[in-house]
Amino acid sequence: MNKHRTANPAGPHGPTVAPLRSQARDGAGAHEHAAVATTVTTATGAAAQRARPSTSPDQEAAASAGGVLLKAVGLKKTYHKGKHEVPVLRGVDLEVRQGELMAVIGQSGSGKSTLLHLLATLDRPDEGEIWFNGQRIDNASTRQRDRLRNRQLGMIFQFYHLLPELTALENVLAPLMITHGFFSYRLQRRKLVERAKSLLETVGLAHRLKHRPRELSGGEMQRAAIARALITEPQILLADEPTGNLDGRTGQGIMELLRSLNTQSNLTIVMVTHDSAIASQADRVVQLVDGQVSDS
Amino acid sequence: MYKFLLCWRYLRTRWIALASIISVTLGVATMIVVNAVMAGFTQEMQDRIRGILSDVSFEARSFNGFRDPEYHMREIEKIVGDEIEVMTPTVTVPAMLSFQLHGEWNTRPVQLIGVPRDAMEYASKFRQYLQHPKHREQFRFELQESGYDRRDRHGGDEAPLRVRMEMAGMVHRRNMIEYRRQWEKQLGAQPAPPGDTAKADSKPADDVVDPFAAAQVANPFDVADRPLDPFAARNDNAQADPAAPLTGCVLGIGLASYRHAGAEHFLVLPGDDIQLTFPTAGTPPKAVSDSFTVVDLYESKMTEYDSSFIFVPLDKLQELRGMFDRESGTTFVTSIQIKLKDESRGSIVRDKLQAAFPPHFYSVSTWRDKQGPLLAAVEMETAILNMLLFLIIAVAGFGILAIFFMIVVEKTKDIGILKSLGAHGSGIMGIFLSYGLSLGLVGAGAGMVLGLLFVRHINEIRIWLGQLTGQMVFDPSIYYFYEIPTSVNPWTVAWIVAGALAIAVAASVMPALRAARLHPVEALRYE
Repeated sequence: MNKHRTANPAGPHGPTVAPLRSQARDGAGAHEHAAVATTVTTATGAAAQRARPSTSPDQEAAASAGGVLLKAVGLKKTYHKGKHEVPVLRGVDLEVRQGELMAVIGQSGSGKSTLLHLLATLDRPDEGEIWFNGQRIDNASTRQRDRLRNRQLGMIFQFYHLLPELTALENVLAPLMITHGFFSYRLQRRKLVERAKSLLETVGLAHRLKHRPRELSGGEMQRAAIARALITEPQILLADEPTGNLDGRTGQGIMELLRSLNTQSNLTIVMVTHDSAIASQADRVVQLVDGQVSDS
Repeated sequence: MYKFLLCWRYLRTRWIALASIISVTLGVATMIVVNAVMAGFTQEMQDRIRGILSDVSFEARSFNGFRDPEYHMREIEKIVGDEIEVMTPTVTVPAMLSFQLHGEWNTRPVQLIGVPRDAMEYASKFRQYLQHPKHREQFRFELQESGYDRRDRHGGDEAPLRVRMEMAGMVHRRNMIEYRRQWEKQLGAQPAPPGDTAKADSKPADDVVDPFAAAQVANPFDVADRPLDPFAARNDNAQADPAAPLTGCVLGIGLASYRHAGAEHFLVLPGDDIQLTFPTAGTPPKAVSDSFTVVDLYESKMTEYDSSFIFVPLDKLQELRGMFDRESGTTFVTSIQIKLKDESRGSIVRDKLQAAFPPHFYSVSTWRDKQGPLLAAVEMETAILNMLLFLIIAVAGFGILAIFFMIVVEKTKDIGILKSLGAHGSGIMGIFLSYGLSLGLVGAGAGMVLGLLFVRHINEIRIWLGQLTGQMVFDPSIYYFYEIPTSVNPWTVAWIVAGALAIAVAASVMPALRAARLHPVEALRYE
């Protein structure tokens, strides 16, 4: 597969990514950092507030340790269905290290999608903390979280979630249109369109630029969704059952694409799936049982 | 950026939304048409009123009037001289009009107005209502040989022919005298001059008319007509010609005719003699009568005026009513009509004059004061119509609201996707607000074009509708208009369009807010 542009050092995150690459799977530093974080977690709200100013040394630690990019501590989430409370997550601790392809596996209803939504800042946990790149993100303002989703997180879904009114190319450009205002987008349009085209080429959709989603096959839609997730050069890709709606061969193709993005561009990927065959291709598998990480 | 792209795509792919704004289009178009027609009517009516009424009238509260109009005019000049273009002293008095029809005397109440003969020089608007083309250029209370308009000249060829007007003028007068002579000869009676008291009264009339006849000789326009000039002819053998006209007067067309089936049927023609009876200025007032010759008819199309006013020369009326003081040589008038340089300053001038003259004796009013109830009624009608029509657009707003809610529900998943891509709630709101604005723009814009086109071709449409339905849509016999008058005020149009836009945007606010507040996870789950 072609050299991937997204994590190219020329990108905005390049300098951060480059030094990390050599020590991507160095676990020792991460452990140490985890210990620090745990003390923060056990503390109450006041302590959590105190923890905020300490982000910059924390960030430094994360960078030097080369470890944890995304971390969840004691996540709890309960849904209310009428009068009934349905606890979905009952205290999940999770660490995602820089450059790894991690799979979260679990049965339906084990809370894996909810976990992913929390990690993606689409929802807020009832309890617990989420740290991204050394910054706490679960209690950030809505605008900050929108910004984070737009620029630093990439997301793909089981049902692709492309916008039906837009062509494949426009769908890929959508996050950039959100980033840029009308005039700033107009000014850079040529450059941005070029980037989107080359990204579509990377995922093997160069011949489908002007097609609407309903004119694409499932695998093609998922490839377009991946290109859309990567257009803003995110640090992490969060995938919710990326192969769940595809037949085996097409799913395998998507998996290979994700794997190559991971190895060639050092893209961190968190993937939620119920398919152990897919999960087994990950660097690390975390099993979620009844809203808690199972140690097995 | 995505807002505009998506807004555009939604516009292009959702024609049902355009259906919701058809009501906006129709509402805007109707409002423009109604306002244009109402404004046209109002303007037309104001023009007609102002053709008869002066800008400000300064009146005595008594029929006897006030002494020495020159002194009053000097005083008025001192107070508001800068504003005034011209002042005219007049005498207004209630009177009875009598004319003979098939040997029967017809009597009607009228308002008699004496105006100076030269004042007609300034009354250019009033002159336009006269029926003889020469009188519209210059009018001196003189009877023309013939050539009075045979149709309502505002109606063009559409107007019905006024058959009897063909013979109006001196021709008619001579015919009538000849006819009467023949008739009286048959009866074996002596021929009598027209008008019962005409013989005695024609003398002073001659004195008054003469200087103008002389002036007319100096007028190059009239040289060619001299042989036809009845006055010139009479100067030679005044006493001998039984057809010599008496003092001229101008009748409203509503007094001289009745209207039936859209056409005038004349009872009195220019050239006929009429008798006027009115009170003298003394105490107690006595009734005096005199005969006048109708020299022209005026048609201002304000029925109220056309069927009540008769204009006669001021000096004649003053003489007959005894409104002069032999010793001092001063005269009396009942009012001074003031024409202003700027009509809109009428109420200021009125207030200044009212403050300067004792209100017990003088009343000062603008033409708007006099026609206040009529103008107010038209304004009220316009306001109510506007309110009702704006409600139509408001109803259209609810249509937009409903369709927008539908679209938001339909697009719930897309909203979730956009939020997962980092779009802020305000951006999502922006999509739907700009969608509403675009729909409003399309609807109001189309309505504006439609409305203006309708106004422009309203008379063609009227004729076409008449042909289609076989029913007269706009009957000139009722409205005195041959064409529907319209007047488009750009500001009114701008306000209507702005109002429609505001309603379209306001209707999209609630659905847009709902879209902005959708929870991303729930929106994504929505199927």
